Amino acid sequence: MSGLTTTWARLTPAGRALAVLLPIVVIGGAGTTALLVAFGGAIGATIGANIPIVRFLAASVITFLITVPTAFLLIYMEMKIIALMNLRIGPDRVGPFGAVMSVVHGLKVLMKEDYTPPSVDVPVFTLAPVVVYTASFMTLLVIPFAPALTSMNLELGLLYFFAVGGFGVVGLMMAGWSSFNKYSLLGGIRAAAQAISYEIPLTLSVVGIVILTGSLSLTAIVAAQSGSFLDWFIFRQPLAAIIFFIAITAESNRTPFDNTEADQEIVAGFATEYSGMRFGFFFFAEYVNVFIVSALFSAVFLGGSHAPINLPFHPEINVDLGTLGIGLPLLAGLAPVVGTILCAAPIWLFAPRVRTWQALLGGFLIFGGLSTAAIGVWAVAMLPPVADLLFFLLKTFTLVFIFVWMRGTLPRARIDQLMGFAWKWLLPASLLNIFATAIAVLITG
Amino acid sequence: MTTETTRPTRPSLDDPRVAIPGSSSWYEPAPTPQTERQAEFLNLRDGEMFINMGPQHPSTHGVLRIIVKVNGEQVIDLDPVLGYLHRGVEKLCENADYHQAICYTDPLEYVSSLFCEAAPVAAFEKLMDVEVPRRAQYIRVLTMELNRIASHTLFQGWMALDLGGLTPILWSFIERDEIVDMLAALTGQKLLYNYYRIGGVNGDLNHEFMSRLGAWMSRAAKHIDSNLGLMNENELFVRRTRDLGTLDAATALRMGVTGPNLRASGVPFDLRRDRPYLVYPELEFDVPTRTEGDALARYLVRIEEIKQSIRIIDQVLHEMPDGPVMAKLPRLIRPRPGRAFGAVEGPRGVYGVYAISDGTDQPFRMRIHDPSFVHLQLVGPLTRGNLIADTMAVMASLDPVMGGVDK
Repeated sequence: MSGLTTTWARLTPAGRALAVLLPIVVIGGAGTTALLVAFGGAIGATIGANIPIVRFLAASVITFLITVPTAFLLIYMEMKIIALMNLRIGPDRVGPFGAVMSVVHGLKVLMKEDYTPPSVDVPVFTLAPVVVYTASFMTLLVIPFAPALTSMNLELGLLYFFAVGGFGVVGLMMAGWSSFNKYSLLGGIRAAAQAISYEIPLTLSVVGIVILTGSLSLTAIVAAQSGSFLDWFIFRQPLAAIIFFIAITAESNRTPFDNTEADQEIVAGFATEYSGMRFGFFFFAEYVNVFIVSALFSAVFLGGSHAPINLPFHPEINVDLGTLGIGLPLLAGLAPVVGTILCAAPIWLFAPRVRTWQALLGGFLIFGGLSTAAIGVWAVAMLPPVADLLFFLLKTFTLVFIFVWMRGTLPRARIDQLMGFAWKWLLPASLLNIFATAIAVLITG
Repeated sequence: MTTETTRPTRPSLDDPRVAIPGSSSWYEPAPTPQTERQAEFLNLRDGEMFINMGPQHPSTHGVLRIIVKVNGEQVIDLDPVLGYLHRGVEKLCENADYHQAICYTDPLEYVSSLFCEAAPVAAFEKLMDVEVPRRAQYIRVLTMELNRIASHTLFQGWMALDLGGLTPILWSFIERDEIVDMLAALTGQKLLYNYYRIGGVNGDLNHEFMSRLGAWMSRAAKHIDSNLGLMNENELFVRRTRDLGTLDAATALRMGVTGPNLRASGVPFDLRRDRPYLVYPELEFDVPTRTEGDALARYLVRIEEIKQSIRIIDQVLHEMPDGPVMAKLPRLIRPRPGRAFGAVEGPRGVYGVYAISDGTDQPFRMRIHDPSFVHLQLVGPLTRGNLIADTMAVMASLDPVMGGVDK
């Protein structure tokens, strides 16, 4: 026994990790192989018979995995942009320009104590962040990033979005009610009141678009906006766009409608009693929500993945690597070396004080940048999903920036002004929009 | 011997009618109230609850505790609880000599502490019957007006922050930082200056102060205007503060309100003009007054005062004479027995000190009148019937500093 412990003590951390992982990998791999050999046919048949379910599960897992880096990116964006608006420096410690700061924040939240106060309703308290986060990432399923990059092309995409997105407020109510804290209670009730009020103009504002396209599928709505930017629904349905934008701001609890977590009034609202990763889930859900509502706005009103203008010519960069034959490996091997030297040569020739290795490093970086740019241009020109995704993300992040900008600029609306605005102005305006659209459709046929 | 039955402890102090599982009665009977607050607590009606804000709360301007009785979002009653910052400054001053008393009063209104020095110094000078040199008077006016701007810019930022805006406080802190830095160059301290002395000031203006002041004055008006654009033209801000916490002139006078809060209610009372001290009678400035009396008016009056202060500083810099900055006084001060009241128009209102001398080197009694204490009693009447969010807006517009309230 002592021999074993001595050996363990002598191992480096990497060796210890290997000593633990190697048997697991070997035994697990052998077991999996055996299972596949034994039941592979049956498993394959089951998967083949239930393609939609498997597809749904795979899409859910992928969207869940996408949300985490998205939330990190948005948190960093918000920290940095608001800092610049406040004339501060903002995060600058971890990574270039502090870009990894939000990841470190996430890890910090993971490592904090997960404390449950003694008086809370434990099952509801534990379940609330799960509900909130699930509701927000499940809505990402129907977002059409590109025609070829849609997780689930549901016929009732918009309806699914509003239905599942509406679940989030149940989670907020659960958190507010179970926390046994009056601030949490007020926050939860505010969230419920606000979500119910703004859900109605939000849903009604897109009815005009549904009339125009004749479909609830988000892919069909995006397809109906093909052509130039004048075909986007923001120009054909401007009133709906304004109502929709205000309503999604309220739905995602962003400034100036962030009454649910107004820290000057009710400390942290529904999240007052939460700590550690449970709070982290609320926090992440907020930013995932911002991304999702921005994506929805750009899909419904900004033409989704369509380019603003249809170019009169279609650039085609046909690179058929197969014709090169034996030249391909030679090119792959030689091009970096030759390219680096060619890029380094001007530096080396015209800047005599730069040392050779520095010139070579600079040449390597320049060549790397140029070749990456070339591959990017080729991908945008030749691979439609890449270009579509690029335009979609461009529009989405412009909207995210607008949300962050509003957060940096505006004070908070009072809860009665907020509710009055929804019921007295947005609801009649959205009804007016539906009538106007319907009459226009009737007249023009 | 009777067997003692142990009553189950109540799990909640909030609801007297909470159900106790396993107890003999369905509801535990409400206990007999011991204090007035407990009685109020036990007689809550349906839907009402108490919320305890503070002393640790994001927006109570220091360690203030407010007990708010709410019905849903509506505030029914509001009760400020003071004393978390009480240091007994008045008593401390009685056991210190006259010079030391000035630094005890210094940290009372810590965002504008030059006024807390100016008031006791004025009272002691009346007791001593000493004439302050004219240059020292000009320097006092100059530094006090700078401090007033620093305080009002801070108020502007806090007001926005309490309404949920993130940016204005950081923008207004730029102005405040520049002023605080130049005062630090003059006095050696950033917050608690301890610069005024009985009979003058501690040291003449130095080069660094003057160069910083000149650089700041050249862009001050423009900077402050650009900061205002973010709030004054903001529909959300104006809608949240207009007609909120309206204070009429009669009530204001009855409650003893002074300063910008009084002038926002339509009473043009300014100590600098109505009971002139130092060299204020020789300076030209307006007393900004508004008649609405709401939170927006209180905000706008303060903004106007910033502009008037810049005007005063401009005149002071042009007219400042040469000469000594300190009167000739004995090192140990022993005023004749008597009493004197010295008051200045601070950024929050009249800041006064009533000092009684018994002929020794220590004040026999020093009574400090702080405007924040007076204004805090308005929070309840002005907020009643409004929403929880309005509590913060009213508090911010009254601009109390807890250091001065608790003394």
